[in-house]
Amino acid sequence: MTESSVIAQADLMCTNCAGQCEYSPRTGALTCKSCATEHVITINPNADPEAEHHYDPDLPHTEQPKFTQDRPYQCETCGGEVIFQGHSISENCPYCNGSLVERPNGESYVTLGMIPFSVGNEQAQDAAHNWVSRRWAAPSDLQSVVSGSNVSGIYVPFWTFDSKEAVNYTVNYKVTRGKKTVMRTDSGFMKTEFDDLLMPASPHVTPLIRDGILHEFEPSNLRPFEPAYLAGFAAERHHQPVREGLRQNAKDKALLLRNRIKKHSGKNSVVDVSYLTDTTGIKYRRILLPVWILHYEYNGTPMKVVTCGLQGRTFGERPFSSVKLLALAALASCAVAAFGFVWGAYNIY
Amino acid sequence: MLNQLGPIIAVLLLICLAASVGAYPIKKLIRIQEAKHELRHGSPGFFRTMSGWIVIAVWVAVTWFFATIIGEWWAIEDLSAAIHRSGRRLELLLRILEALADD
Repeated sequence: MTESSVIAQADLMCTNCAGQCEYSPRTGALTCKSCATEHVITINPNADPEAEHHYDPDLPHTEQPKFTQDRPYQCETCGGEVIFQGHSISENCPYCNGSLVERPNGESYVTLGMIPFSVGNEQAQDAAHNWVSRRWAAPSDLQSVVSGSNVSGIYVPFWTFDSKEAVNYTVNYKVTRGKKTVMRTDSGFMKTEFDDLLMPASPHVTPLIRDGILHEFEPSNLRPFEPAYLAGFAAERHHQPVREGLRQNAKDKALLLRNRIKKHSGKNSVVDVSYLTDTTGIKYRRILLPVWILHYEYNGTPMKVVTCGLQGRTFGERPFSSVKLLALAALASCAVAAFGFVWGAYNIY
Repeated sequence: MLNQLGPIIAVLLLICLAASVGAYPIKKLIRIQEAKHELRHGSPGFFRTMSGWIVIAVWVAVTWFFATIIGEWWAIEDLSAAIHRSGRRLELLLRILEALADD
């Protein structure tokens, strides 16, 4: 079955009792909500979800958005694009719990691979609440605010990018000569590669949250897109062209390149890095990764806690208590001032 | 009288001042702690969060430096002498901060 085909209700119905089925992260099977019969999900054995696609920025790109016949909706509140399968039509957006409005002429790209949920709802709920309860200097009422919110499971679009870089660089660094500090400049060349850089293709998972929840990514765990994995979960389609994904990835790549250049130069006290890189061998994948998102609002500011649907790692946004920060600052100030006072009183140096 | 009470009042004022500007460094410290334990090391988000930690070192160093002057003032009962003698300490402190900033 391809992504573009209309998902018939029958595909997600139990062959035993005709009840509706949902994907179960616990068993990895399609499970009937009525009689609990488990149906093994068969995937296309010829599909290669690990395959990467080449992209040359100097050539016209042939990948065209696909106009699909399924039902994309766009939330008026947060802009999240969401697709619902089978009976799991919800009137609330899983990102922000806002109402959904159908968007005509929605376009999307074919998803090349996905990893289904392996962390269930209860586990994700516990992980999200535990994460919130472990925050330092959080407002006292934060836990009670968050306890009223539930996690929502959603497949979020991600990119993986590969590239090869030939980098000519210049570094400015400091050298101490006696009591003087002088600036020096050095140039060099290095070749480096990026492999499977993950970049969210959705505004709902920020790069910071990605780095908190996705510590390991194994392309070998990718499976071909199969609607049965989405049953009971929401999914956001890929809607960015490759150049947009690369543009968003550029900031991360530049930061990583600067760090690699600093290491490659072998200089201490590098104060400035400039470089020109020749990027070749760009390859990409459009994939869906599972996350559980818990939305809450604190003092009018919308925030989210995200649990990875693969390993259960959790990261998110949190408020701080000004009073607790001030109290901690006062404690630290007392300790530092006392240390300094004793140091000065005994004329240590 | 000033030499007896002065250092005590000064250190209390220093604590109040350091605490009032300390909320930001403490917030940064908490974010760094969270990053060290929860973000993937070597990731862009990790680097971004760790950058700017020097603000914590500057806050601690400045508080400590003024406290040393007050401590010495209390010990020798001569503020101008304590300030004069803090010059070498300041030089050492600036060198340490410079080295930390370069790291």
